[in-house]
Amino acid sequence: MEKKIKEEFDVVIVGSGIAGSVLAKTLTNAGKNVLLLEAGLQAGMAFDPEAAYQNYQYYLETFYKASAKVPNSPYPNIKDAQSIDVLDIEPITQCNSPSTKGYLVQAGPLPFGSDCLRGPGGTTLHWLGSTPRMLPNDFKMKTLYGQGVDWPISYDDLMPYYEMAENEIGVSGDVRDQVGPDMGIQNYGKDYVFPMKEIPQSYLDQVCIEKTQNLTVKLHGKEYTITCISTPQGRNSIPNPAYKFAGTYWNKKAQKLELAKNDEEYEPVGAIWDPNTGHRCEGNASCVPICPVQAKYNALKTLRKSDPKRLKIITQAVASKIYTDETTNAITGIEYKKYKYENSTVYDTAIARGKIYVLAASAIENAKILLTSGIANSSDQVGRNLMDHLVMLTWGLLPEKAYPYRGPGSTTNIPTFRDGEFRKEHAAWISPIDNWGWSWPVFSPGSDVSSAVSSGMFGKKLREHLNDVLPRQLLLHFECEQTPDPNNRVTIDPQYKDQLDNYRPVIHYDASEYMKKSFEAAKKVSDQIFAANGVEDYTAYSVANDPDYVTYKGQGYNFWGAGHIVGTHRMGTAKENSVVDKNQRTWDHDNLYLVGCGNMPTLGTSNPTLTMTALSFKAAEAILKQLEN
Amino acid sequence: MNNHLVSSRTFLTISTYLTGYNEVELLGTGMLETYFNVFLEKFSPKTLHYFFAEVDEILLESAGDEDKINAAIAARLIPDSAYDGIAKNIILVWYTGNWGSDVISTQSYQQGLMWDAAEAHPPGAKQPGYGSWANLPIRIPTK
Repeated sequence: MEKKIKEEFDVVIVGSGIAGSVLAKTLTNAGKNVLLLEAGLQAGMAFDPEAAYQNYQYYLETFYKASAKVPNSPYPNIKDAQSIDVLDIEPITQCNSPSTKGYLVQAGPLPFGSDCLRGPGGTTLHWLGSTPRMLPNDFKMKTLYGQGVDWPISYDDLMPYYEMAENEIGVSGDVRDQVGPDMGIQNYGKDYVFPMKEIPQSYLDQVCIEKTQNLTVKLHGKEYTITCISTPQGRNSIPNPAYKFAGTYWNKKAQKLELAKNDEEYEPVGAIWDPNTGHRCEGNASCVPICPVQAKYNALKTLRKSDPKRLKIITQAVASKIYTDETTNAITGIEYKKYKYENSTVYDTAIARGKIYVLAASAIENAKILLTSGIANSSDQVGRNLMDHLVMLTWGLLPEKAYPYRGPGSTTNIPTFRDGEFRKEHAAWISPIDNWGWSWPVFSPGSDVSSAVSSGMFGKKLREHLNDVLPRQLLLHFECEQTPDPNNRVTIDPQYKDQLDNYRPVIHYDASEYMKKSFEAAKKVSDQIFAANGVEDYTAYSVANDPDYVTYKGQGYNFWGAGHIVGTHRMGTAKENSVVDKNQRTWDHDNLYLVGCGNMPTLGTSNPTLTMTALSFKAAEAILKQLEN
Repeated sequence: MNNHLVSSRTFLTISTYLTGYNEVELLGTGMLETYFNVFLEKFSPKTLHYFFAEVDEILLESAGDEDKINAAIAARLIPDSAYDGIAKNIILVWYTGNWGSDVISTQSYQQGLMWDAAEAHPPGAKQPGYGSWANLPIRIPTK
């Protein structure tokens, strides 16, 4: 059955999400030959306008028809390369351990609450698109706060790559608004602007800001001044005429990646089927799970800009094992299983060969492939330190109508608790103000309709009731930074395999005291914000409401997964403490790089995609240097 | 059913009282026939016959007096024991576009009245345009 591909490539990449696509684009445009393996269906990789449009309309219609409109609901979930589905998350009990309902084998004690998408374009198809940067102090958690580890690089080291990432994604935002603890213009450079102007803050934001901006809240005997700022986002807005960069290119002479200057105005990147569609966010209010006009960035926009003469893409190809040379420890090939059609059990096995290999298959899949192959793990860190933002939600009714369910998911955040001395005691968090009512915690507005109807309400009274309640719904998130814990991990077990005989990830997961204490703190802050705004609190936590339920000092809290799957092959200062070095090359294998959120040693309080994209540019630069020397 | 035309008309009329939306608003969703057919499929012809007969009687005896109609609906159609819950299901179908947890069609999702009641729009459809969310929703007067 085993076949060899005749061609040998400079680089073999596994996965076409944002990390893999940034590499494919950067490397092919620098003249390197790339083979990209993608586990998902061929249909999703269509780039000719008609096929791309048809496929995307199919996603959209699947979303319309989905009874639970969860992040992966528009996209095929095929048995050959299953995705995690949040609908499979259930409490883990004595008679239900591990929980094997979905793709993940959840050993607990708490279920891991996030999903990602295995398919062309990866999770950027359903991501929200918030793109705040990390803070300088986030890179020094051990030194400053005695928590987790320091990164092997500083914020300053990452700054030029952040600019490349913001260019690639097409960030809309106002740099001058990015003020908060350890935040400010100094984090950007004097004249720096984002490619596009800020996405307008919602009417709901404006209602909340009125009584929340500069509000003093008390926490553990200290006073904090709450501020509300606009959130930078990867969705198209009005080009900023002061933005002067075209794109990232390989400066062969200087042996580094640089942003090319551009005298012309930045042009928003449109839909993959039509460059003139999606130049502005149109307010579909469905960023998660699908932007109908592709005004929101997705990785296919990047992949399409690769040099097609130098890129070979093989879809329906699931990477299964990595081979090494026993004497040199170099990677010699990546075995993959190419299945014939959706859900087929028939597949061919082949080996892809190149000079350099890159895993960009998501934090959980990367770790799983490494564990399967028994490689890159001399540190024993592969699969460990799985992290996410633990999202505590609070919800209530505003005294006046603020009209949620409109606009992007979130356009404003409260950065006040992103950094501070309290990080020695409990997790930091960012608080996005949510624009989509109570849809996340209690499935509004459908649940409001059914409970009103059950109570016997009908007719004009029902219509008036819904019109009174729904426009007053307020939801706040508290995205708490999970710290690395070696016992929160991905493992494999021969008992649990998928239909292509590949391992299913086994997850061990829990929330530490440090996290629980942050729920208590965040709830105290939420209570004060609600009080100042005259919000009637409807927050209710229970295991029936959400399987991730914990108690702290006698109080129960729910947290939800943020979809920020991070930390399973950490970057570090030495071979002994980490899987990859600061260039994201594995310490154990000179020609194997890992990219994606798995590299992040700690999470910070920002949505990780922007930082991961910046790191992917850094990896691309290191790979180009290695190929040319 | 012995006369679908009559009943689809009655279905529309009783839907206005059950949902609080007028005929123009309901017809404007384009979903009347689809939803009526859902009820023909989901309930036994006998139950439907008794339900529509009751509706006709309520409409006739109340002679357009809205308070009387509403009182009769509350007493004779809304209880779960009345006609296998047809009335409550009519409300849920118009507001959510769902039958139980199943979405009836891609159109029914987009036409759910709950989005209108929220002065919003179904996520992923009927998008109101760039920056619209920064302002009060635009409302077309319905009277």
